Amino acid sequence: MDPLRAQQLAAELEVEMMADMYNRMTQACHRKCVPPHYKESELSKGECVCLDRCVAKYLEVHERMGKKLTELSLQDEELLKRMQQGTGSA
Amino acid sequence: LRDFLLVYNRMTELCFRHCVCNLNYRLLTGREESCLDSCAARLVRANHRLMGAYVGLVPALLQRRAAEHGTPAGPSGLPASPDPAAGPAES
Repeated sequence: MDPLRAQQLAAELEVEMMADMYNRMTQACHRKCVPPHYKESELSKGECVCLDRCVAKYLEVHERMGKKLTELSLQDEELLKRMQQGTGSA
Repeated sequence: LRDFLLVYNRMTELCFRHCVCNLNYRLLTGREESCLDSCAARLVRANHRLMGAYVGLVPALLQRRAAEHGTPAGPSGLPASPDPAAGPAES
């Protein structure tokens, strides 16, 4: 595949995944911070602060999950290599 | 790659929903961090197990469907149609 085309596809995929992450974050934080009482249209200060913290935490969780996934997949790769070496030498 | 990234996003959402309950602080607490680590590991292992089970069961299922498709019976997966009414009901 043309490297420029591959780069373009990767950028499009990244944008799509960021949009998906944003939608999930919105849903999660809304559920945690905005109770379903619709008497007033304005958000209270507590709700605003909760949303700010929620976003900060969600992004941190996202980063942590990414690192953990990488670590776990590297571990799996190592295990697979060891198994293959084991069957190869036997 | 797309599927992997979708799984990543779903994992983030699930583990966040389950592990992060205290929004009094901006930073993650130690308890939340260990919960998130366990959550990630469990989900990955569950996913592997699921895939293994799926890969084990699908060939037999497809074989069964192919065998059913070959027979002259009704469409697979649907119940047999009921018999038509015997005759007009007596008054």
